[in-house]
Amino acid sequence: MNILRLGAIVALSVGLAAPTFAQGIDSPECVAPANPGGGFDLTCRIAQTGLEPQLGEAMQVTFMPGGIGAVAYNLFNTTRTDDGSAIVAFSSGSLLNIATGKYGEFDENDVRWVATAGADFGAVIVRSDSKYQTLSQLMDDFAADPASVVLGAGGSVGSQDWMKGALLLRDAGASPRDMRYVAFDGGGEAIAALLGGSIEVYTGDVGEMVPHLDSGDMRILAVLSSERLGGAFADIPTAIEQGYNVEWTIMRGFYMGGEVSDAAYNAWVDAFKAAYQTEEFAALQAEKGLLPLNVAGDELTAMVKKNVQGLREVAKEAGLIQ
Amino acid sequence: MESVISGLATGFGVAFQPFNLMLVVFGCFAGTLIGALPGLGPINGVAILLPIAYGLGFPPESALILLAGIYYGAEYGGRVSAILLNVPGDAGAVMTTIDGNPMARAGEAGRALSLSAVASFVGGTFAVVLLSIFGPALAAFAVTFSPSDYVALMVFAFASLASLVGKSTVKTLLGALIGLMLATIGIDANTGVARYTFGIPDILAGIDFLIVVVGLFGMAELLTLVEHQAAGTLKSLPVDKSFVRWADISRTKWTIARSSVIGFFIGILPGTGASVASAVAYGTEKRISDREGTFGHGDPRGLAAPEAANNAAAGGAMVPMLTLGIPGSGTTAILLGALLMFNIQPGPMMFTQRPEVAWGLIASMYIGNVALLVINLPMVGLFARMLTIPQHYLTPLIAILAFIGIYTIVGNPFDLLMITGLGVFGWLLRKMEFSLAPVILGFVLGGLFEDNLRRALSISGGDWFILVESWKSIAMYLLAILVAVVPVILARRQKVVVA
Amino acid sequence: MADRVFAGVLLLVTLAYSVIAFTAISAPFQYDPLGPESWPRLLSIVAILCILAILWKPDTEALDVSNRAWFRLFATVVLLVAYAELYEPFGFVVATILFGTVMAAMLGAGILRAGIFGVVAGVAGYLLCAQLMGLNLPEGELVAWVTGAFTPDTTGGSS
Repeated sequence: MNILRLGAIVALSVGLAAPTFAQGIDSPECVAPANPGGGFDLTCRIAQTGLEPQLGEAMQVTFMPGGIGAVAYNLFNTTRTDDGSAIVAFSSGSLLNIATGKYGEFDENDVRWVATAGADFGAVIVRSDSKYQTLSQLMDDFAADPASVVLGAGGSVGSQDWMKGALLLRDAGASPRDMRYVAFDGGGEAIAALLGGSIEVYTGDVGEMVPHLDSGDMRILAVLSSERLGGAFADIPTAIEQGYNVEWTIMRGFYMGGEVSDAAYNAWVDAFKAAYQTEEFAALQAEKGLLPLNVAGDELTAMVKKNVQGLREVAKEAGLIQ
Repeated sequence: MESVISGLATGFGVAFQPFNLMLVVFGCFAGTLIGALPGLGPINGVAILLPIAYGLGFPPESALILLAGIYYGAEYGGRVSAILLNVPGDAGAVMTTIDGNPMARAGEAGRALSLSAVASFVGGTFAVVLLSIFGPALAAFAVTFSPSDYVALMVFAFASLASLVGKSTVKTLLGALIGLMLATIGIDANTGVARYTFGIPDILAGIDFLIVVVGLFGMAELLTLVEHQAAGTLKSLPVDKSFVRWADISRTKWTIARSSVIGFFIGILPGTGASVASAVAYGTEKRISDREGTFGHGDPRGLAAPEAANNAAAGGAMVPMLTLGIPGSGTTAILLGALLMFNIQPGPMMFTQRPEVAWGLIASMYIGNVALLVINLPMVGLFARMLTIPQHYLTPLIAILAFIGIYTIVGNPFDLLMITGLGVFGWLLRKMEFSLAPVILGFVLGGLFEDNLRRALSISGGDWFILVESWKSIAMYLLAILVAVVPVILARRQKVVVA
Repeated sequence: MADRVFAGVLLLVTLAYSVIAFTAISAPFQYDPLGPESWPRLLSIVAILCILAILWKPDTEALDVSNRAWFRLFATVVLLVAYAELYEPFGFVVATILFGTVMAAMLGAGILRAGIFGVVAGVAGYLLCAQLMGLNLPEGELVAWVTGAFTPDTTGGSS
């Protein structure tokens, strides 16, 4: 750590980095509440690279696997409630869990919502030599016999990975309960199972496919966004374009404990707001397959609360909660 | 083959630059220290130093070389506390305690440490050689392992572990069951239902493996030391100057060879790692070679087997990460994150687009293995001196080290209470003449077994025949029968001969 | 005898485990025929059979622990729990000095030597692990309050 601090001092004296508002953050840390390699990891990497000019040092990314992020959420609600140096990655999946009561007694009012990293979108992915060349072929099979397709993803029943599959089946006119769904421990294992032929379809996210685009091992049948994405994904049609009304947007961002001081909270919010203004941050988002969704502070808090309320209603409809 | 040689030439050109060479050596050294702390292992070592390496603005190949050195160093370091204190430094070192610690207690700590360094070196180097020659083909094979094949692998693992049966068969079985039941605590990976969590958030995700290891082994060991000291049965050890002998290496050479192969192949499978590899290697070796019943009492082969295997597994885990971009273990996932941070996309393209990174990393693994051997052999004497620390200092020191190791993983003080509670439980089990290894292995293998069994049945739609559909699973069931039955037959034949 | 007591306690715990597996665990719906409940049910039944076998034919007669050892073991566990509880409030350095000193003194080091050991372990441990290796050890609310290294929120404010 000394080496790092020394580096920061040198950088400061040369006047390269470390603006004054980031002073409140000492040894910054981003907690990815999952095993490495998945979406939370990606979220933290964005903060790590994207905030480096604002913080003056690359923050440490730590992993707190909890299946669905409950451990991190509870930890930051019980013991690390006032930890001003750590932010925790969350996604729409975390909000889904809050909505369905998976995080126990704590809800969306118990933490401080800091900022977003961007938005990610669901994707329907098959192996490049799959018999499914288009989404419509897959949807026809779903309609004819839902159990004929083996679908897998990195989350349990009721997770957002599962939800994407369930929505596809519902749109094809089948019941999600007839799906043949295999739950893996994170996206990495699910991709391995897809490449190995254990599963035929993987309902993952756009962002985690970036490293795999060039290899030609997998093909994205559809992106579950409302509009076509840019950059490397410009050629991939959305499900809506192909006539299926399935959309799954994943908000990615960060929260802190509920008793964090205003000073520390504002330092983070300001750091993010400053980063949003830079071209580098936009480039970083694009490179990781995220669309700009730059919201921080009070604005985000309001947005999250509204979002959770909406998810609560959907979950009730699907029979996941009473 | 030609491309491999030219690639390696490029790689060694990069790795032999004085700066990179220095980084490998530094990484191995720092990794050894981090790995020696109970709890902290390769994952944490790499995760902690990644931002520092990035922040210093090294070129990507240099940063990766540093991190790979730390990874390897930490795999090595895990054995130090396992052998000397009976406290495994990380997941892969659990099996090392079984024969390593009795050797140290018999005054042969130096011999145990140096032999394990040699075994680790061979296992690690074997893995890198296979990685550089057959990498892509092996990775393609590894991903074809389906959930039903994993089930067969678990059956094989349990069959090879039947050799761990100690004084009482019932107690061994019950020990494994306790481990299996501990593994069911937490959210069910298939349906998301919470099991046995009683609303305690800290165990909602299940009990972390490291907590079980440090608690059941480390803290139980500490309580045993306190008890023995109070009873006055603790004899102090003389300064130990033993070292590995040529005869040891010649006696363990086949053990090391077999275990390296087992470790490497288990290592390349995504999801299984050094802990499973070392357990299967130990179990298999005991089945094959333990004719005189010396395993568990300080047999050098029982030490060499898990050490060769866990280092071979560490190398094997690099295969799917480098060639396919799929991390096979937590540590390689962090290395993958490091690659992405430097805007390098791992996978087959990396070898053509950024050969200096891909081959530089591979070359640094060769160098790292040599560096570890060179650094560690002279340090053996120094480590062995730890045993001469008076007991009234050593005992609190174990607790302090275990607390550092566990607290720094997540920063949750609840974990400290958990290791204390598990320590009391582990001490009681030991007093009741249970052996602890089956408990740990039941815990490690239990989750993999249940999850993959249910995944396989989800894929087949409830048809149990999926479990015996692939040649890979059938081969493993046959191996399981072989491992379980052959020693029994051999033993019987020996008896006949004696009679 | 010791066996039977231990096995008896284990039996009670396992029975509770089993009851939960057979009554409480269930999923709203599942895709595999086993569900979350079958595996624990199977484990609990085999475990209960094993425990009954031990109760039937125990082999460890007595624990053979002297009163002195019992006392020290009990004290050690109390010390460990206290160490864990004070880890964050007191911070690594202070908690370790206290724990190291008391533990070493209890195990027979002279009180002065035990104190030196505690201080060395606490300070050197912190310097080595937190400063050199960059590990995240607690600095402690107490230390922060005494040294005033942290100023409370009232004066903090965003700049």
